[in-house]
Amino acid sequence: MSLYPQPQSQGYGAAAFPPPGYGQPSMYAPPAFSYAPPAQPVYHVDPTSFRRDYSTRLAELTVNSRPIIQNLSMVAQDYTRFADIVVQCIESHIRRVPQWMKLPAFYLLDAISKNVYNPYANCFAPLVVRLFLDTYEQVDQSTRSKMEEMLLTWRTGSPNGRELFGVVPQLAIERQIWGGESTQNASSSRFGTSSSVSAAQVLSELEFVLNQQERALQMNPYDKASQHHVAVLQQLRKLVQAGVSQAELSQILNQLRTLAQSAPTSAPVSVPPPPPAARPSYAAQQASYAPPPPPAPQSSSYPPPAYMAPTPSTAYTVPKSEPIDLASFLSSVQPPAASASVPTASAPTNNIADLFSALVKAGVVSSTGTPTGAGATAKAEEPSKPVDPVKDAARKYRKAILKHKIKLTSADISKQRSHVVEFMYDRLPAQCKQCGIRFPDGASKKTMDDHLDMHFRQNQKAGQAVSRGHSRCWFVTVEDWTHDGYVDVKGKGRADGRKISSSAAAAAEAAKREAELRALYVVVPPGDEAKPISCPICKEPLKSEFLEDDEEWVWRNAVKRDDKIYHATCHAEATASKSTLAVRLRNEKTGSRSRSITPEKLRTPPKAAVDGVPHKSKSPSPTSPVRTKRKAEDDDPYARLEGKGDAPPAKKFAVSA
Amino acid sequence: MADGKTYQTEVNIDVNTRQWNLEAGTEYRFELDPGTTVAIKLAHGQAEIFGAELAEGSVYLFGFECKAAVYTWQGCTIEVIGLPSTEYVSDETPMHAYANVHLALEQMRVRALRTVHGSPPSSDDEADTDANPEPPRVLVLGPENSGKTTVAKILVNYAVRTGQDWTPMLLNTDPGEGGWAVPGAIAAAPISSPIQTSTPATTLGCAASSAPTHLTSNALLPLAYWYGHAETKRNPLLMDRLIRNLGDNVAERWDHDVESRVSGLIVDTPSSFAASSGAQNEHRHALIKACVDAFKINVILVVGHEKLNVEMQRTYGNRMTVVKIPKSGGVVELDASYRERVRKYQLQNYMYGKILQPPPGLSTKMYLQGGEQIPDLTLNLAPVSSIVSFGDLTLYRIGEETMAPTSALPIGATRVVSEMQPLLVDPAQPGSGLYNAVLALLAPPNPDEHERYDEEILDLPVVGFLVVTALDIPNKRMTILSPSQGSLVGRTAIVGSFEWQE
Repeated sequence: MSLYPQPQSQGYGAAAFPPPGYGQPSMYAPPAFSYAPPAQPVYHVDPTSFRRDYSTRLAELTVNSRPIIQNLSMVAQDYTRFADIVVQCIESHIRRVPQWMKLPAFYLLDAISKNVYNPYANCFAPLVVRLFLDTYEQVDQSTRSKMEEMLLTWRTGSPNGRELFGVVPQLAIERQIWGGESTQNASSSRFGTSSSVSAAQVLSELEFVLNQQERALQMNPYDKASQHHVAVLQQLRKLVQAGVSQAELSQILNQLRTLAQSAPTSAPVSVPPPPPAARPSYAAQQASYAPPPPPAPQSSSYPPPAYMAPTPSTAYTVPKSEPIDLASFLSSVQPPAASASVPTASAPTNNIADLFSALVKAGVVSSTGTPTGAGATAKAEEPSKPVDPVKDAARKYRKAILKHKIKLTSADISKQRSHVVEFMYDRLPAQCKQCGIRFPDGASKKTMDDHLDMHFRQNQKAGQAVSRGHSRCWFVTVEDWTHDGYVDVKGKGRADGRKISSSAAAAAEAAKREAELRALYVVVPPGDEAKPISCPICKEPLKSEFLEDDEEWVWRNAVKRDDKIYHATCHAEATASKSTLAVRLRNEKTGSRSRSITPEKLRTPPKAAVDGVPHKSKSPSPTSPVRTKRKAEDDDPYARLEGKGDAPPAKKFAVSA
Repeated sequence: MADGKTYQTEVNIDVNTRQWNLEAGTEYRFELDPGTTVAIKLAHGQAEIFGAELAEGSVYLFGFECKAAVYTWQGCTIEVIGLPSTEYVSDETPMHAYANVHLALEQMRVRALRTVHGSPPSSDDEADTDANPEPPRVLVLGPENSGKTTVAKILVNYAVRTGQDWTPMLLNTDPGEGGWAVPGAIAAAPISSPIQTSTPATTLGCAASSAPTHLTSNALLPLAYWYGHAETKRNPLLMDRLIRNLGDNVAERWDHDVESRVSGLIVDTPSSFAASSGAQNEHRHALIKACVDAFKINVILVVGHEKLNVEMQRTYGNRMTVVKIPKSGGVVELDASYRERVRKYQLQNYMYGKILQPPPGLSTKMYLQGGEQIPDLTLNLAPVSSIVSFGDLTLYRIGEETMAPTSALPIGATRVVSEMQPLLVDPAQPGSGLYNAVLALLAPPNPDEHERYDEEILDLPVVGFLVVTALDIPNKRMTILSPSQGSLVGRTAIVGSFEWQE
């Protein structure tokens, strides 16, 4: 069955159809006929235990796992008498599981319906519409597009090339997800005109057909017809993405459907003889498909020579060198319609090329494939949308800036009226109501949202810090300062650069350095494993651990300097500035370490803080939490540190002095 | 005061509130007396203060003898709550010229960015004849009271407002001003959000504190070096060296970050660079040259000074663009005592932050100070006072005759002291000049002893500033006010000529 994108292919969006992920319904089909009886003895005797067992197995289907689906599908095939139970189990499973687990279950439904077909397709038919639509509403966009792909295969999913679940459910689903009467009007009249066809629908069907054709081309690389079809389809895709009229959309749609039906047949028919190497596979494929696929009950007895050899478990692993395996693998990626269309081997009456030439004639497309109306509408389909406007705006800005004829001369700058308003205001329509900062036209909503979030967070932080004192930070060291911009830009990205304060960047830098330091280690000399050793700086023992990779005992977070082993963090701290922000952050992290040197007792003579502003009221305003000198008193100097909110507490740095 | 023309109207709304309707291209200028504050609300329209746009409907607070101007490109209505000592509307501003300079700099950035990206020059860019376009590195020169800092600020603010993610570097080489640090320091900081104007203590934005702030221009992490005096002529050699140190580090930073290199830099300079009074001429030129070399300056802007312009044209005209730009008529003549007070504000702001009291009559509690929505919570700082013994902190003075006994001098030193020589300061000696002195706490020296050298402390950046608030000579202890926690034991600090008393 078709729609088993490999687990790693989850990132595929609707636009790019991964070759293994799409449109290979027969991938499952042929092996389905050769399913060996399940390895384990038959023990599902009564419906109750079968239901329990099937549900249990179904519960394992949490990811898109081919073996599990295969297994469940086989069980379903062997127990067609319990078809009702299988259907109930799958339905309740799909309805119960979280949305990210629904798709694999649908693949199972798809697999069983297509490969076993009878009686499952009929059993699923009454409930598949509701189930599909309910699920479709709940899942995210990428899952939706995968479901749409699956839906398209259902159009020709039955053994005789008709709708897998019948015309009515198919139409009902398509109408719901693509809207209106835009879908196939009826299986009998595939050319029915439709009042509104969404470009999205056409695109997804187009992709489907294109994929079919490309796969056909892969199999028969010398097939001129397929090559031509692929080229035309690709042009059509560009055209549709750029936007075409309703009438053309539905025209394209109809042609596509015809092609989808005819493609698999036309390809083999029109191919020149494949190269000898490909011959066996082709033959095998022909052989296996020669008779129309019989209904499921007979299928277990159906002996396709090519598929007998591999056991089900190996059939799905990547074929090794044996040509026979390769053949089965290749044929298994044959498009779904293949088996369906072979019997009705009549040549297609329509060709996509006709459509294309018709469009060229109508002036919609230029013969070079550039749509004349390109860019007018329907840009929305482009997946790269979030990136482009920003870059575009920046590009436009740069162009506009350079357009002004202005030279840096006294005469030039004083004589002209400035066009700065255009750049300062007109081009930046979005403004933060709180701080007045403006954002470019093209800036995604996200930039602005991030900015507002920043305001919110800062207000929240400030609110939490009421009654706690803040203090001026020490300036950063040269090293931190010269590398600050680097972190700021490369680490966090410039898109939301505004909200990243330099201190955040410094913190990120500090965290990174901390991690690097902690990763350092010193190999324990042989025989010293049991010897306790402590860091000369913090006097804490160094922890030894066994490195699996190197098979050696090492001291973690350690450096060796002048024959002494230090904690890497202590050593770095001692050598670097004792008061940079970065170090303070580091201290905060490792704050649990005890210090050997008692902080100096500090005392302050009582001395009132005198406000330096002559005319200003000397009493702090009621809302001002702290407006006095913070005294360093005899009590535990660390106690205060807790009270500093997000401020990195400054520890005693006397450590190494 | 209003000069009689009809382009503005002043309407009294109530006792405390007046409404000004500003026509496009005019600006409302105001000056505050010590101790008063003023709130300005943009009722509608668009307005900006030194390049930082005001948000419509928000109330902005100003204080500490702030002198500023609300400019509008397209016209606006503002409400002023409180009583400035001076206020008027002017329609003669150099904003168009400044904006044109900005556009020209912007073109340089765009071209430089294109080179970085490796894209071909566009066909519609006729002026692009330079094979290797460089981002703008601008030196702003001008005499006293010409608005150099304001020009630098406007140009930086315009750059960050374009929405192109520029982060230009702003450098303050005027030790009398202090910038983000305190007076006596020169510093550099990358700017990524518009610098707000609210008090002269934070003309160039704020250095970072542990409070959560809304604008990155209120949480800057500058790289600062300590010169220690207000006047550049006092130790031009040291100044020269510090400028070059800054330049080296800016260059290194840009090596790591090509994208921000494209944003360029803008250097604000002390007025002494422009003074042409005989004896100092040599120093002055040396310092300008130090800036040009250190920051690889390619644009010199001379604010309203013909003679200096010609001078610069002659010296640098063949190597870079030298442009005279008009001086704003709104610049206020600042006397020495005002500058003195501003330094005090700056130090106070460094230690305690600053909270402005809203003027009487301000009905809302929602106001912005320096762009911060909750100044009470974010601009209020608590420094730490602690007692250290004399031996804990090593103090130096750079190149000055001190009262230190010969034994306290570095080995081999004689009483004849060079300008650049670090001299130990002994707090125990009477007349050490430490009481109330501002100290610059230095970053630790190179951990590798072999890398150290005699004058290393000249090249160490500042991590913070301390003030000696009490000296207990009999017990060999002193009380130090520091901005935040952290042991001072074993640290090195440099004494300058600044003093501060709370």
